[in-house]
Amino acid sequence: MNRFLTRLVSVREIPVLLALFIVLVVTGIANPQFVSASGAQDIFLGVAVIATLSVGMTFVITMRHIDLSVGSTAGFTAYMIGKMSAHHHGLVTSLLVALGIGLIVGAANGFLVAYLRLPSLVVTLASLWIVRGVFDQIAGGDTVTDNQVPVALGYLGRHSFANIPYIFIIAFVLILVASFFMRSVRPARDLYAMGSNPPASELAGIPVARRTFFAFLASGAVSGLGGAILLARFHSADSNSGLGLELNVIAACVVGGVAIAGGVGTPYGALIGALLLQSITQALGALGVSQFWQLAVNGTLLISAISLDRYLTLRVKPTRILRVKS
Amino acid sequence: MKRVTFNWDKGILVFLVLTTIVGSFVTPYFANASNFSFVIQDIGEFMLMAIPMTFLIISGEIDLSIGSSLCLSSAALGYSFRHGIPFWLCIIIALLVGLACGLINGILVTKFGLQSLAVTIGTLALYRGLCFVLLGNQPVNQMPLSYTNLGSNSIPHTFLPYVTILIVIFGAIGWTTLHYTRLGRWTFAVGINVEAAKFSGIPVARLKLALFAMTGLMAGVAGIVYTFRFASASPDGATGYELSVIASVLFGGVSIAGGVGTMWGVLAAVLELGVIRSVLQLTNVSANTLLVVSGGLLLLSVAIPRAIELSRNRRKLVSSDSKS
Amino acid sequence: MQKRLTRVAIAIVAVAALAGTTATANAGSAGIKGGLKIAIMPKAVNNGYFTAWAKGGTTACKEIGARCTYLGPTTATGAAQVQFINQIIQQHYNVLVISAADQNAIVPALNKAKAAGITIVTSDADVDASAAASRVTAVLPASSTRIGTAEVDWIAAATGGKGSIAILSAAATAANQNAWIAAMGPYLTSKYPNMSWVGGTVDKSVFYGNDDATTSTQQFDAILAQYPNVAGIISPTTVGVLAAAQEKKAKSLTVAITGLGLPSQMGPYITDGTVLKVGLWNPIDLGYVAVYAAAEAASGTFKGTVGSTFYAGNTKKTKKTYTVTAGGITYLGDPFTFDKSNIATFAAIY
Repeated sequence: MNRFLTRLVSVREIPVLLALFIVLVVTGIANPQFVSASGAQDIFLGVAVIATLSVGMTFVITMRHIDLSVGSTAGFTAYMIGKMSAHHHGLVTSLLVALGIGLIVGAANGFLVAYLRLPSLVVTLASLWIVRGVFDQIAGGDTVTDNQVPVALGYLGRHSFANIPYIFIIAFVLILVASFFMRSVRPARDLYAMGSNPPASELAGIPVARRTFFAFLASGAVSGLGGAILLARFHSADSNSGLGLELNVIAACVVGGVAIAGGVGTPYGALIGALLLQSITQALGALGVSQFWQLAVNGTLLISAISLDRYLTLRVKPTRILRVKS
Repeated sequence: MKRVTFNWDKGILVFLVLTTIVGSFVTPYFANASNFSFVIQDIGEFMLMAIPMTFLIISGEIDLSIGSSLCLSSAALGYSFRHGIPFWLCIIIALLVGLACGLINGILVTKFGLQSLAVTIGTLALYRGLCFVLLGNQPVNQMPLSYTNLGSNSIPHTFLPYVTILIVIFGAIGWTTLHYTRLGRWTFAVGINVEAAKFSGIPVARLKLALFAMTGLMAGVAGIVYTFRFASASPDGATGYELSVIASVLFGGVSIAGGVGTMWGVLAAVLELGVIRSVLQLTNVSANTLLVVSGGLLLLSVAIPRAIELSRNRRKLVSSDSKS
Repeated sequence: MQKRLTRVAIAIVAVAALAGTTATANAGSAGIKGGLKIAIMPKAVNNGYFTAWAKGGTTACKEIGARCTYLGPTTATGAAQVQFINQIIQQHYNVLVISAADQNAIVPALNKAKAAGITIVTSDADVDASAAASRVTAVLPASSTRIGTAEVDWIAAATGGKGSIAILSAAATAANQNAWIAAMGPYLTSKYPNMSWVGGTVDKSVFYGNDDATTSTQQFDAILAQYPNVAGIISPTTVGVLAAAQEKKAKSLTVAITGLGLPSQMGPYITDGTVLKVGLWNPIDLGYVAVYAAAEAASGTFKGTVGSTFYAGNTKKTKKTYTVTAGGITYLGDPFTFDKSNIATFAAIY
């Protein structure tokens, strides 16, 4: 039993899942409305955008890098999709443009980080500002309104399958695919090696530069498409869309066990992290906690989550490794 | 490697001189006393926070909560003033709150062994949240003019705002400490190779704790400057300052990987960013373009040294080839 | 019943609007100086409301032969605005028309601008009452009481005058919103005995969406999770009311929504019945009048003392006179109300 427990908590995602469960149960007892179908829908809708963006972020953080440009990119493409559709371009064209913008940003980040070996924090902070500046210049004070949102996106944002919103299903499928890749496909698996020990992975013959480039490219592409989810979710977009989203995405990853130090974590872990953060935000509301306290509580929980993760890694992992060795 | 960054620091100075000269030619509003006073006032808080951040980043850590720490110390100042505490005491409270913010970050990083990037994303939210808890929807205003005038007036008989005094004092302390004391050498050593530093007897944890505490304390000082300058305390003050501070430190040639950087490079960089901003604004460049320019400059600050390094390596390779 | 209430509400608003802007004959006849250099500064650029506001200001500038610049920060904070105030001091502008992003933080900078000889008029959002001396006058849409009570009337029309009400505001520190909300509290309790605040008092019924689509939507959901029986939500901010309408439509909810919304943004929701009515003053007029006030003050024909008057408009037909009221504030007139009957017209304008 004890060994089973030890093994269970050694899976990084389990404690987060447990925390999620506790939040749902406690809040559910205090406010039954919270665990209703509509409460669940709120949570799913709330995480759809963050979960989508966390896929690319997981790739990047796993190899000990970071991508701060995701919020600007997603906001920009959300606006562009709406604007293009308002000018009677088809949905496919709009999505391709969004994907294209994402790929350009991702390729620029990837090139600078992978081939020029510039620090990703600096590069993506710069692209955060540059993309936002270009976006602001193009959008100005203009707002994409409901009637400009492509019909299909509008439908996806408003409807559910078995009470699960379509946009969450899309994010979920993306997460599953990415998780499968990182588990079973060699190039994606390499990201773990690169994050655990960059010099060693180079010596081991991993094409580090190419992998890094493609991981950033993937993050850009996902952010581009994340714009579509953002637009579907909010049915409007303006120059403030996606502002500050990057920190929420990183927080979801970190809480979900994707360590900033690289080398560990899974996309589904990031999803659980996003679900936990969203549930906590909504639980605080449902429990009637003053909004002035909510940010402080969120911050405390984020720190607790990292501390717990650290504690478990220190206490549980070594014993397991030792046992395997002996 | 070291020689390359040395070049970049020099580049910043050249850049600063160039911008100033170009600025004086392209706009008649740039080169005068009142404008320099505005520029210094604008960069005051950033300068004060960039000094400890330089140490922190050189040692291989980072503090994303610095904007929130600034706000929390400002909020604490406002909160205690509102509750009738004498103003000089409010200032001490604000400093202590800043120090506490830094200590908490430092303890979480050194005692709990957590990643500073992750921890300070958490405390960024926590400290900001506490600002709202303290002040709610009621910003504090009507602070004693004798104090807030220090924030907006200049030192008598000069065009220099009072914050210049703080910048000079702390800049000098930061400079000498980083480059001429054991503490500074330790900071570099820890940033270059933390394991080696540990084995050579450097108290790494204590050093980092001290650096985080200093960062918090300086955020507190900046919080007071900020409160005086805007003659008020508001829970949403200084939002997003952390990225600007970090960006200007990196722009000053400090490597985000740790172990590399100079204090005067950073001080010149903060000043340069203020001057560029001023020149661009005075030539009627829009706020949107300013964002793009900030991003572009940040990229250049890492790309140029890199390009120099690459070309040098190639030259070295070529010359060694020709020799053999 | 509902229809009659609506009609009564419109009538009240219309009458009040007339009363608010009645011309008092002897319009200032002295001319406005030509060639004034005017800066029009919003809380933040890239915002549809302020684009419209600046459009009015720019029109006025053309009429009076002034040179206008629309400039400001990308984020609505006082600290960011100060950098631009410093810029206009350096560039020797004659006039600053500004919507205060922070009622306190910009005051020291405004005082410096004033000392540098710049004529300052706040518009849309004023500085704190304690700093009223830093500007000539504040050109505001309508008194806080009128805006607050009008919104309560709209929500009463939409809920049939009963049920509990919540508020989805902008940032917690937004001075305008806080003043309007303060006016809503007692009015709802006294005028509509069958209506109440979800949190018991108005202070405990406010949720802050920070003028951000994501946060506003989250807080809208929080209202419904916390108070499933909420009958109506007032959102006195254009971002909040848009987010609320979107979320209501997405989830096919029954909660009534009203607030201050741009007709161009709210058009689809009013047309399809998601929202019965919203209101707003005309930001174009607001900017237009503010520039006239500032230009006349800069020309020495208007002092901004309580009871003094200025005019706006360059033809006899469009010319209107405005009188400064207590606190140095000039009101434009009551907000317009938009519903199915007129939304198409207004949506085309702003």
